[in-house]
Amino acid sequence: MVLSELGRGEKAKIVDLSNIDQMVKRRLLDFGIMEGIEVQLKQRMPFKGPFMLDYCGQCLGIRHQEAARIEIKRV
Amino acid sequence: MMHIALLGNPNTGKTSLFNNLTGSYEYVGNWSGVTVEKKVGALKNKTGQLIDLPGIYTLNPLSKDEGVVSNFFLHDSFDGIVNIVDASQLERNLVLTLQLLEFGKPIILGLNMTDVAKSRGIYINEQKLSAALQVPVVPIVARTGQGCNLLNEQLFSLQSKKQAPLVLDYGVALEKGIAQLIAAMPQELTEHLPPRWLALQFFEGNKNVWEHLSSFMGDDALTKIYEETKTNVQKEENADTLSQRIYRVRRTYIQAIVEQAVDQQTAGAATLTDRIDAIVTNKVFGLPIFLLCMLLLFKLTFDWLGTPLSDLLDAFFSGPLTDWLAFVLGKAGASSFIQSLVLDGIVAGVGGVLVFMPQIFILFFFISLLEDSGYMARVALVMDKIMESVGLNGKVFIPMIIGFGCNVPGIMAARTIEQPKERLLTILLTPLMSCSARLPVYALFVGAFFVEYQTIVVFSLYLLGIAMALLLAKLFSMTILKEEQSVFVIELPPYRLPQSKALFRSTWDKGKGFIKKAGTFIFGGSVIIWLLTYAGPQGLNVDMDNSFLAAIGGWVAPLLAPLGFGTWQAGAALITGFLAKEVVVSSMNIIYHVPDVDSLQGLMATEFTPLSAFTFMVFVLLYVPCLATVGTIRKETGSAKWTYFSIVYALILAYSLSFIIYQGGKLLGF
Repeated sequence: MVLSELGRGEKAKIVDLSNIDQMVKRRLLDFGIMEGIEVQLKQRMPFKGPFMLDYCGQCLGIRHQEAARIEIKRV
Repeated sequence: MMHIALLGNPNTGKTSLFNNLTGSYEYVGNWSGVTVEKKVGALKNKTGQLIDLPGIYTLNPLSKDEGVVSNFFLHDSFDGIVNIVDASQLERNLVLTLQLLEFGKPIILGLNMTDVAKSRGIYINEQKLSAALQVPVVPIVARTGQGCNLLNEQLFSLQSKKQAPLVLDYGVALEKGIAQLIAAMPQELTEHLPPRWLALQFFEGNKNVWEHLSSFMGDDALTKIYEETKTNVQKEENADTLSQRIYRVRRTYIQAIVEQAVDQQTAGAATLTDRIDAIVTNKVFGLPIFLLCMLLLFKLTFDWLGTPLSDLLDAFFSGPLTDWLAFVLGKAGASSFIQSLVLDGIVAGVGGVLVFMPQIFILFFFISLLEDSGYMARVALVMDKIMESVGLNGKVFIPMIIGFGCNVPGIMAARTIEQPKERLLTILLTPLMSCSARLPVYALFVGAFFVEYQTIVVFSLYLLGIAMALLLAKLFSMTILKEEQSVFVIELPPYRLPQSKALFRSTWDKGKGFIKKAGTFIFGGSVIIWLLTYAGPQGLNVDMDNSFLAAIGGWVAPLLAPLGFGTWQAGAALITGFLAKEVVVSSMNIIYHVPDVDSLQGLMATEFTPLSAFTFMVFVLLYVPCLATVGTIRKETGSAKWTYFSIVYALILAYSLSFIIYQGGKLLGF
């Protein structure tokens, strides 16, 4: 499944990041987000707007289209 | 004299620490990229200078402001580093620390936000951390200044310390590539910069380092080493790319350190930030809440606080101050020329603008509040969907809001936007944000024509600016700038209660530019305008309708006639407004030669109708960026073409929109 299918408050392990935009991937890595780590979905904006993710207490926003390309496994 | 560089991740309290260590004030904000240029301050202990650099996650730059740091390492000389580290995000912050350690300059670690860390169950043993990294670690609370004295003391001994570069083992293949590259580096390069650090940054993909190396060694040699090493590393276990390998090795090293020095307990309940976010980034209420905040801001700036204060100031300028100046000038036996210059030129011109100081300072206060609290990043998130539909991303909204204060820092803040196309669009469109310099113009006109609806009329002008920016963004990204994809990733820092001291300093720092402008541009502009009204083709002290200014304004007046304000006065005011938009008000004060704002507003009622007054405000909002903004656009785009473009499109937009509003309004019977 992909990250955009995750419900609010649910946690998931990231399986594959290779399909997202290179710049986004680099930025996510700056936050320490890579394959194998666990994130939580905090909030999603309406009309396929951005997603708010929590990783180790840091909160960040990414777009729906990117979230739809991140392979995850629900925890 | 010591030169110390201050480095750290964005949102770690770097600028607060800078203020504490230097005593001088710098701009603090709670969103990535407040420090877009390096800033220098004198250390409190008078032993040297502290250089504040943009916040970065890693030395390898992704955006323009991050490149500033790489270039600093390559081209500037410095004696040591203060690395501020967010204790609640230790692992992420140490990635940068390792790269700094690899550079091999003496370092002090300032461990900030231990309070936040403790609230999340993270306890850091500073001694163990210090021993593991082999650098001094000082716990600080940058916001309150706690621990900063200790850090200051440590700075004394920093220069005398020798720090050997940290050497990690990056695996056989990569180490071979590093050795190969170092061997190929010419001596004039390696005597200034640590070769191993250069090599690692190069293999990691740091473009600035690549360019620097290539100026010494040429691209071909570099490409050959890079490709070879890349292939060899991929043959090894894990099949890493070069940057992945480097990241993995560093990360493993960090995890070992964290295991020794950090005691992680289970975290507590939902934080305050979570609770606030549940409301302000709410699916349904997020956008309305933001709009409500903005409306409240304008209500306070105009109706509730700004205007009453501004009236008091006006009474002072036109009453006691003018009387006193007239008395002093009379006593000193000044000629009528000097008397007229001071009273009709300078007091009318400069005073007429300074009267609006309260509104401008209140506006700056709220912008500072938005920045410091952390709400700004949420606004970017809430706005992203709308911005995406016009080819931009939510982050663009941050420079735009800053642009409400002044377009110049707004355009500078565009450096934090990663995509070159989106950055250029932001630079071009930020001038459409109604800056505080346009406020005096609105205040003057709404006071004369729209007393009942002040806030609504001014708010509509701000919204018009935003609407035009979005519309043009769509247009430009569909036509002249269509090649790049828009991207968006944003950090949402925890909310922080702004410190009143920092808030007032930040407001003052922004507002003092306005006062400075009053003393320079507006003062000079007023003198020139007054002289142009005093002199004419027939000589001095002419009737104003026969003055040079009337002649100049008369040239453009016919062009402006279809917009409803085809008088030489309006034409002259608009031309001089290019210097700074407030000068429009100065000009009007001088031209109409009245003692205070009230009587000027009374007089204008005979020259303008409400419709033409509104059209005039729309024209002032859009027509050309001011001189300082044009200069900044030139500097930031590095292109004369785009600079001219920004002027021309604005003129066309202002003219056509004003035409539609005026002619349309007339048809509708206004």
